[in-house]
Amino acid sequence: MLHTLGLEYCYDNGKKIVFPEIGVQRGQRLLISGFSGCGKTTLLSLIAGALKLQTGDIKFDSYDYSSMSSLLLDRLRADHIGYIFQTLNLIPFLSVSENIALGIRFSQARKSRINNLNQEINRLVAALGLDKEVLNTPVNRLSVGQQQRVAVARALLGKPDLILADEPTSALDSDTTKKFLNEVMEAFDSSKQAIVMVSHDASIAPYFDSVIDLNEHYA
Amino acid sequence: MNTMLSLLLKSMRSRIIPTSLVTISLMASMVLLLSIERIQQGAEKGFNQSISGVDAIIGPRASSLELVLYTVFHLGRPTNNITTKTINDVKLRSDISWLVPIALGDSHRGYRVIATEPNYFKHIRYGNNQPLAFSQGAPFSDFSEATIGSDVAKKLNYTVGSEIQVTHGSIESIGSKHDDFSFKVTGVLNKTGTPIDQAIFLDLKGYELLHLGWKSGKKVFSLNDINFSSLPPDALNPKTVTAAFVGLKSKLTIFNFSKNIREYPEEAISAVIPGIALSELWSIVGLVDKGFQLLSWIIIAISLIAMVTLIIASLDNRKQEMTIYRANGASPKFLAAMVIYESLIIGLMAIIGAIILVTIVTYFATTQLNLALGISPSFEWISIDEIKVFSIILLSGALSSLIPATMVFRKNIHQTLS
Repeated sequence: MLHTLGLEYCYDNGKKIVFPEIGVQRGQRLLISGFSGCGKTTLLSLIAGALKLQTGDIKFDSYDYSSMSSLLLDRLRADHIGYIFQTLNLIPFLSVSENIALGIRFSQARKSRINNLNQEINRLVAALGLDKEVLNTPVNRLSVGQQQRVAVARALLGKPDLILADEPTSALDSDTTKKFLNEVMEAFDSSKQAIVMVSHDASIAPYFDSVIDLNEHYA
Repeated sequence: MNTMLSLLLKSMRSRIIPTSLVTISLMASMVLLLSIERIQQGAEKGFNQSISGVDAIIGPRASSLELVLYTVFHLGRPTNNITTKTINDVKLRSDISWLVPIALGDSHRGYRVIATEPNYFKHIRYGNNQPLAFSQGAPFSDFSEATIGSDVAKKLNYTVGSEIQVTHGSIESIGSKHDDFSFKVTGVLNKTGTPIDQAIFLDLKGYELLHLGWKSGKKVFSLNDINFSSLPPDALNPKTVTAAFVGLKSKLTIFNFSKNIREYPEEAISAVIPGIALSELWSIVGLVDKGFQLLSWIIIAISLIAMVTLIIASLDNRKQEMTIYRANGASPKFLAAMVIYESLIIGLMAIIGAIILVTIVTYFATTQLNLALGISPSFEWISIDEIKVFSIILLSGALSSLIPATMVFRKNIHQTLS
């Protein structure tokens, strides 16, 4: 489903990173690990179509990033990709349901996969082990663990093909991390979706089908 | 579109204090512009209606501005007089309906004295052809009586029955006072908002009497030495007057009339049409208002700059918000449009607020303004010109928001994603 070819990225300060070749199949759970500063977020941004390709190419199903305008890449991201940040995933002035609903605000395709939005939000919230009360709680009153689950609910809403997660557990303690990952892996539909997570925490590797260590790649 | 608007409104609500302050400052500057514009219109209208019902003013040959300044506004002094014989000749013309002569020159504690005939109060009108009315008493009917404007009565605390003495010329100085004769106030005029409020009206005969003992601006003998009953009957008929107000039977003959007056062979006189002379004068006086108008445009520009500054400053705080939109597939166009819509909403709110405020103020303040300044800004909702002004403000608001919009558009999403 996703294939990267000869990706290289050169930063403004002249630092250059050469990424390994990555292939992701539907249903696959891939962990990309490595120290901070090894280009994990850059790789994720490239896959999300948020960063312009410099060298190499990315193919996503029938799409070929190198031949797409940034507008088309925005479209692709809206329709096919759910993105989870390290922290600060939620918009403070929106309610929890509105924050989750943002996942389909910009995509007709994801919207069309949902019959009843409230029902779907309730289902996701329950599947992620969140109390239903959370929906009526102001965003800034949620714990970090709760916020990350809300972010996952948003990324999963409307069943995008690929979930990209950038260190979603870095702010969580190890118990919460375990619980969080269990629930995420439960909630995601392995028949249609794939998940790519980057993390410096190698201990979470058991939750994934495959692991790519960027540090090893350099070594 | 709906998505954007609901997100934008919620986002703006989360920044309610800075946003509403900027809206208020923009609104205040627009209220300023609107008020200045409306007061200016009212002032111009009031100015052009300083005198009404008069078709022509006859005076010694001079510029029409000069003639209007001293006959209507009681400012400055005439250089020449015209003889009563000339006035009587003009009175004989068949196209004239009425004629009221006036003589200027004296004053009372800084207020100009206008010597005229009792029918002045019948023919001279002000504003929108409103007749002069009395708040107390009636017009003078004898040479020893006086009628005063409302400001004079108020400022000097005069009522019917007060006695006044007048001064020769417009400045009080020793020996210039007509202290040998007093006039009794018989009437106080209603407020008109015109120079009439600051005038004292005497009978021409009384005025002539005051000057019986004067030669070349100096008192030769006192009126105390004169026995009034021994005066010949025509002794108090004025020999000269300063000017005369004229009403014509038909306004259509005005140009012919003024041409004939100019060609009057025995004396150099001229006739001016007050409406034309007043608007000529306004084109000079009105410049001050143009200045104020310019000033309020500058204030609007400053408010717009403040708005753009606010939007730019808020972008940094909204980094998270913008990044989340982008990560969920919003295009840079969406974010840029959001910024432009925000400025449009602020502009629109300010405009609506300004209209409501100005409408309320003009509705309630019209009477007060009229009494205080003689200005009557007509009550109206909104004029075509004002719509034009608002469109210009909205447009410039949207144009200036292109600066932050471009900043958002150009912002590399990667800088924010990480």
